Amino acid sequence: MASQASLDRHRVSAIIVTHDGQTWLPETVAALTSQTRAIDIIIAVDTDSQDNSLQLLKSARIQVINAERTCGFGEAVSMGVDSLKPRHADVIEWIWLIHDDCAPAPTALEFLLDAVNERPQVAMVGPKLLGWHDRTHILEVGISIAGNGARWTGLEPLEYDQGQHDGIHDVLSVSTAGALIRRDIFEEIGGFDKNLALFRDDVDFGWRTRVAGHTVVAATRAVVFHAQASATERRTIDVEGALLHRPLLLDRRNAAYVLLANSSWWMIPWLSLQLLSSAMARAIGYLLVKLPGYASDELLAVATLLIKPGLIFRARRDRKAHRFVSSRIVSSYIPPRWSQLRMSISRLLEGIRSRLLPDIGGSSQSILDSVEDEDLLVPTKGSRWFNVFRKPEVSGFLFLAVITLIASRMRLGSLIGGALPASPSGARDLWRSYFESWHQVGMGSSQASPPWIAVLAILATVLFGKTPLLLTLFFLLAPLAMMWSILTLFRKLTKNSWISLSASFIYAISPVAIAAINSGRLATVVALIVAPQVPILLINWKKIELHTWRQIFTLTLIFGLLYAFTLVTFVILAGLVIFAVVGDYQGFVLNGDRPLFLTRLYRRFVLLLVPFLLTAPYSFEALISPSKFLSEPGISLPGGGAHLVILGNPGGVGSLPWWLISPMLLILLVALFSSSRAKGFAIYGLGFLAPAVLFSSLSISTHGNSARERVWVGTFLVGATIAASAAGVVILDRIRGVLVSSNFHYRHILAALLLIVTALYSIVTIGWSISVGATSPVQSSRSTVMPAFLSVEKDTKTLVLREVGSFGNKSIQYYISRGRDITLGEPDVAPRQTLRIAVAAQELIDGSGISSSQTFADFGIKYVFVKSPFDRSIIRTIDGLGGFTRASATTNGVVWRVQGVTGRLIFVGADGERTLLEAGEVGARTTVDRPGRVLLTESYDRSWQIFENGYRLERIESEQGLPLFIATESGEISLLHDGTIRRAWLSFELICWIFVIILAAPSGRRKREISEKELA
Amino acid sequence: MKRSIYALLALALSFTLATLLTVTTKSSVFSESYPAVVCPPTLSGLSSQISLSSRKTAFQRLSNRSTKTIPFNVLRYPVSKDSLVISATGVTPVVWQSRAGSWAGGAICSGPTSSQWFVGGSSDVTSRGRLMVINSGLSEAIVDVQAYSENGKQPLVSLNLKSKSYIVLNLDSLATGDKSLTVHVLPRSGRINAFMIDELGAGLQSLGGDLVNPITSPSRTLVIPAIPNQIPKKGQKASGSHTLRVLTPSDVDANVTVELLSADGRFIPVGFNSRRISSGIVTELRLSPKISASAFAVRIKSDEPIVAAISSRVTVKGRKDFVWSTPTPALVPMAMAVTGLTPLIAFASDSIAVKVEVTYLNGKKSLATIKGSDIATWRVPNAARSITIIKASSETYAGALVASANGYGYLPITPGSLLTRVEIPSSNIRVLIP
Repeated sequence: MASQASLDRHRVSAIIVTHDGQTWLPETVAALTSQTRAIDIIIAVDTDSQDNSLQLLKSARIQVINAERTCGFGEAVSMGVDSLKPRHADVIEWIWLIHDDCAPAPTALEFLLDAVNERPQVAMVGPKLLGWHDRTHILEVGISIAGNGARWTGLEPLEYDQGQHDGIHDVLSVSTAGALIRRDIFEEIGGFDKNLALFRDDVDFGWRTRVAGHTVVAATRAVVFHAQASATERRTIDVEGALLHRPLLLDRRNAAYVLLANSSWWMIPWLSLQLLSSAMARAIGYLLVKLPGYASDELLAVATLLIKPGLIFRARRDRKAHRFVSSRIVSSYIPPRWSQLRMSISRLLEGIRSRLLPDIGGSSQSILDSVEDEDLLVPTKGSRWFNVFRKPEVSGFLFLAVITLIASRMRLGSLIGGALPASPSGARDLWRSYFESWHQVGMGSSQASPPWIAVLAILATVLFGKTPLLLTLFFLLAPLAMMWSILTLFRKLTKNSWISLSASFIYAISPVAIAAINSGRLATVVALIVAPQVPILLINWKKIELHTWRQIFTLTLIFGLLYAFTLVTFVILAGLVIFAVVGDYQGFVLNGDRPLFLTRLYRRFVLLLVPFLLTAPYSFEALISPSKFLSEPGISLPGGGAHLVILGNPGGVGSLPWWLISPMLLILLVALFSSSRAKGFAIYGLGFLAPAVLFSSLSISTHGNSARERVWVGTFLVGATIAASAAGVVILDRIRGVLVSSNFHYRHILAALLLIVTALYSIVTIGWSISVGATSPVQSSRSTVMPAFLSVEKDTKTLVLREVGSFGNKSIQYYISRGRDITLGEPDVAPRQTLRIAVAAQELIDGSGISSSQTFADFGIKYVFVKSPFDRSIIRTIDGLGGFTRASATTNGVVWRVQGVTGRLIFVGADGERTLLEAGEVGARTTVDRPGRVLLTESYDRSWQIFENGYRLERIESEQGLPLFIATESGEISLLHDGTIRRAWLSFELICWIFVIILAAPSGRRKREISEKELA
Repeated sequence: MKRSIYALLALALSFTLATLLTVTTKSSVFSESYPAVVCPPTLSGLSSQISLSSRKTAFQRLSNRSTKTIPFNVLRYPVSKDSLVISATGVTPVVWQSRAGSWAGGAICSGPTSSQWFVGGSSDVTSRGRLMVINSGLSEAIVDVQAYSENGKQPLVSLNLKSKSYIVLNLDSLATGDKSLTVHVLPRSGRINAFMIDELGAGLQSLGGDLVNPITSPSRTLVIPAIPNQIPKKGQKASGSHTLRVLTPSDVDANVTVELLSADGRFIPVGFNSRRISSGIVTELRLSPKISASAFAVRIKSDEPIVAAISSRVTVKGRKDFVWSTPTPALVPMAMAVTGLTPLIAFASDSIAVKVEVTYLNGKKSLATIKGSDIATWRVPNAARSITIIKASSETYAGALVASANGYGYLPITPGSLLTRVEIPSSNIRVLIP
C-alpha cells in the first residue's frame, strides 16, 4: 500500500457522466464514497437523463452539471474538467473518469495512485475491468484497436479472472470507465476528440497520449466493475451524430475514424481497404445469422466516414500539432493479424466443440468429495488405458474399421471401376467440369453438370485438390460414417448400447451398403450416410407444423445434398409427401382445420421443391429427360431384379450373392405385426421396399449408354434398410423383458430365428467381404484404356471399340473418346448416341460399312481403336473395309486412321475442298483464307458461335446435325461456346443456396436481446 | 392391423407386377451374314471353272475398285484370269483348275481366315508350285508367310498387299532346294485368302499337280476322309502310293498314330503306331496299305497339335498325277455347289449317318441317306448343281474325289464361309474406363 504522504501529492477529481443510468448509479455512488483513498472532488455531468439519475446524484450530494441530451462523453468530461478549480503547481491533479454503469472496488483509486506514484511518465492509468453481473469475468486489462477496427482486449471471450493478467502493463489505452488521467496532460492534449461522442474515444485518447510522449498503463490491482450498458444496448444512444441511434454503427464508424486519424499517412490506403473488406465480411456474417440491421451498420459505418474525408484530414492535422513521436510508436500495441486470426479460429473451434460436445454438468468429481481416509495423492478416478476398449462404441467401431481395412485392401489408391470413372488429378478439373457450358464428351454435350461434382470439388479443395485421395478416403471411411450416422438415430430409440451398436454394425454391412461401396455408387453411399439424420431432424413428419421454418430449411439443405447426388431422392420424397398430403387432407375433411392443413402443405412442399431449386438446372433438365430421376452418378450399370431387391439386395456387380440373404425382410414382416412402434417403422420400410421392387423391373437408357439397363434401386433400399434396422432395434429393446416374463410361445421362436438369421448373415457377409468382396469392381488402378499416343493430338476424336462384360456375357460396345479415358462427372453429361455414327459402327463390325470411314470423317473421328482382347475376325473385317489405314497394332489394341481430312474444325471451300483448321479444346482462334463454310464437328448447340472480323457468322445445322457456319469473306475467326445461360443458372443456384443457408442458419440476437445472465 | 395388411399387399402387388412386367433387356443384338468368298485367280496356262448353285449368285472381280457386284447368270463360270469375290450366301462355290493334259485339282472358294496351313508343295528343282495370296479387302494388308521343310523352319516372308490385289509366290523361293514343304499363311491385317498349287515337272515332262486345300489350325486329331487308292488292273504295276506329310509346329516332338479306315476294315499300318515326329521339321512317311477299296480315310492322333496331308500318286490316262488329300473339320449342315462335277464323296466316322439333298440343274431335288461305319462312299448324281448336307452324325468327316480328263482332284466337304453372327455394337461410355 502506498504511503499516505505520497498519495497526498495527488489530487483526484472524480467526474461521473450519467445518462439514464439509474439502474447502476446507486452502486456507483456508493462505491465512490467508500474508497479507501478518498476522492477529493466528485462532480457529476448529467446529459439530460430521463430517469431518476439526477435525483439520485442530488440525494448523494454530488455536484451536478447539466448537459444536453445529445452531449457526447468527451464533451461531458470537458465540461466537468472546466468546472474544476485551476491547477496547483505543488500537487499532481488527476481526473478519475467514472461511467454511471461502473462501480470501482473500494481500493481502486488507492491502487491506481499507487501505480502512478513511482511512474511520473504515466499520463493515464486504468483499472482491471470486471463484469458487472459476473464479477469473475474479466472484461479488460487495457485496450487496443485491430487493423480492421475491432476493439482488442487480448482476452478470451468470457475469460475467468484468476489473476492471470495481474500486474502493471504498458498498454495503448485503457477504458474511460475508471481511467485516471493527469489533468495537465488531458488539457495539453485537448481532451477527448469531439468527433468521438461515444465509443473508441478511449483508444483515441490513449493513442494521442502515446504519441505525445507519455505512457498509459493498466494497473490490475485496481478493480472496477463495468456493466457496459451502451455497448450492450442497455440504453439508447442519443449523442449528436449517432446516426439512427445505433451503437454498432457508431462504434464501427468511430473505430475507422480512430485508425484513419491516428495512423501514419502511408498506412491509410491499406487501412481503408482492410476496413472496407472486414466490414463486408462481417456484414455477410450478420446476414447469415439474419441480422440485417447489424450488417447495414457495418457498411454504413465505413461509408459515412469515407464519404467525408475532410473530417479525417482535420483530425490528422489536429493530431499532428500535439505529436512528439512517430505514430509508429504504437505499432507494438496493435495486435498482429495472425493473433486475430488465431483467436478467431480458436473461437470458431470452441463454438463447434461446444455445439457437438456440450459440457455435461456434474460429470466432474472434486477431489474433495473423496473419502476422507483416502490418500489425496491417489487419483479419485483410476482407469487403465485399455479399458477404453470395453466401451461398446470403441470396440464396435474398431472392429468395423479392421474389417473395412481388410476388405478395402485393393482400394488403397486412386479408385476406378464399377460405376466410378477415373478421378481427375485435381479439384480444378472438377470445378472446370462443373462450371463449363460445353463438355468434351463423345460428340460433345451442353447438359448441366450434376451438382454432386461441386460437392466433390469443395471437399477436394479442402484436401488441397487431391480428388483421388478424397475418393479413397470416402470409400474407406464410408462404413464407419454409416455406422456413426445410424448410431445417432438408434440412440434415440434405445438406451442399450449393445443393441444400438450391433444394429448400426449390421447397417454398415447391409447388402445395399456393401453393393454400393463395391460398385462405386457415390449417391447410394452418400444416402447411406446422410439419410439416418433425416428422421432425427424430421421427427414430426406427420405433425410437420411442429417444426420451425428454420428446421424445415435445414432439412431442405440436407435434401439438397441428396438431390445433388441423385434425383431418386426426389422421387422418394415426392412419394412420401403425396401420402402425407393425402393424410392431411383426410384430417382436414374430418376437423375442417384449414390453417393447419395449409401450414402442413406449405412445409411439405417447401421440403420437396426447394431442394429441386437448389439443384437447378440439373434438376430441371430431368423434367425433359425423366430417366435422370432414376439414375445415379457415374457409369450406368444394371441393378438386380425384383427377386433380389425384395430381399434388400440391390444386385448388380459387387453385390452380395443371392444366397446371402439379409434379415431385412424378415424383420420388417415380424415388426409389421408387432404391437410396438416397430410397426410404424415396418410400414415405412415396406413403403420403401415396394417401389424399390417395382422400379427394379424397369430398364432405362442413360449416362452415355444406349442400351437399356435395369434400374439400380439402392437409394430406395437405403430407406428400407434404415426402417428395418430401426424396427429391429425397437423389437430387441423391449423383447428381452417380454420374453423373460412370459411362457414359451411363438415370440420366443421368432426372436431366436431373427437372432440366428442376423448372426449368420453377419458372419458370412464379413467372410465374403474380406475374401470375394475384396476383388469387387472398384479397385485402385493406374491403367488406362486409351494408349498414350492417342492423347498426344489434342482433342482428337477416336472411336473406341471394346468387348465389355464378364466371360460368357461379353458384348461389343463403342464410344467416342477425346483421346483420354473418361473422368468423374463425364458419364453424367454424356450425350445420346448419334444415329449415323451408330449405323457406321454397326456396319464397321459386320463388314458392310463401305461408307463407315466417310461417316466417321464427317463427324471428326480421326481414329478407330479396337481395344484388346477383341475378336480377330472383326479386326480382319475392319481391315477389309476401305477408308481405314492401320496406324498401329500393339498388345493394347489396333488403331486405324480414318482416311480423309477430318478434325474438329474443318473449312470447306466453295469447290468442296476440305481444309483442317486449328482448334483448341472448346474455343478456337484461327483464320480462313477465302469464303466458304466452317464445319465444327461437335453436336449442334445454339450456343456455338463464330465471329469473323467482328461479325457473327450465320449458323446452320448440317445434315449430320453439326454446327455449320457460313464465312462470306476471308479473315480471322473466333470460335466460342457462349456460356451465358450456364452462368445465369449457376448464379441462380448460388443465390438459392445462400438464401436457404441464411434461412436455415441459427438467428443471431441483438445485444439488447441477450439476457444479463448470458452476457455475464 | 389394417395398415399392416395394406403395406403387405402393396409389397406383394409390387413384386407380382415386377415379375410379370419385367422388361427383358436384350443386351446384345446380332447381325447374321455369310462373308463373301474368294476364288483363286487363274494363272497363266491354267483353266478354271467355278461351280455355282444359282445363276443369280453375284460376284465382282478382285481388280474392280467399285464395290458393285453382278450376277454370274451361269452355273459354271470359267475364270479367265482375275480372282473373284463371290457373294455365295451360304452355298460354297467350288473351283476346278486344270492344266490341259497335265493335271487337275479342286478347291473350295472360301472367306477370309485368320490362319491357313498348306501341307503340300515342294521347293526342289521339280517344283513349279505357287502360292497365291489374295487381299480382297479395301485396305492394305500385311501377311506373314512361314515355310517349313524337312530342314526345319525357314525365314519368315512378310508381304504387303495393296487393297484388292494378289501376289503369287513361287514355292521354290520359300525353301529353295527342299523337297517337303508346309506353308503357314498368317495375315497380320487385311482380308486375306491364300491358295496353293503344287505342280511338279521334270524338264518338259509334267509330273502332275494339284490344288492344296488349307487347314485352319493344327490339331491333335486329324481326319483325312477321302484318299484315292487306285487299284492296279490285273497285270498292271501298282501305281498308287501314298505319302503322309506331317509337321508339328510346336516346340515339342509329337507322337503320332495313324489309323486307316477303309472298306476292308480299320487298322493301324505297321510302323504308324506312336511314331515320333520331330517338331518344326516336315516329315514324310510312306503309306502303302494293302486294301482293295478305291478310297480310304485316315485318322491321325497326336499328343501335340500337328498339321498333315496325304499325297497320293494316281495315273490318269497313263499320265502321272498326284492328289493332296487334306484333313477336314467335322461335317456340319452346309451346301456346296457341284455343277459340272460328279464327285465321289467319302464319309469317315465310327458311325456314319448323313442325309444329303441333291439339287439338280433343272431345279429338282432328291434326298440320299448314307449310312455305314468307318467309311462310306457316295457318288453325286449327274446333273447335280448342289448338294446340301441336311443332317450329319457327329464326328463325321467328308471329302470329295473328282476325276476328270486332265486329272484327279480332292475337295474337302466343308463350308467356305460360315454364317457369321456379328454382334451389333451398342454405344456405352463404359468402354472408356479400364
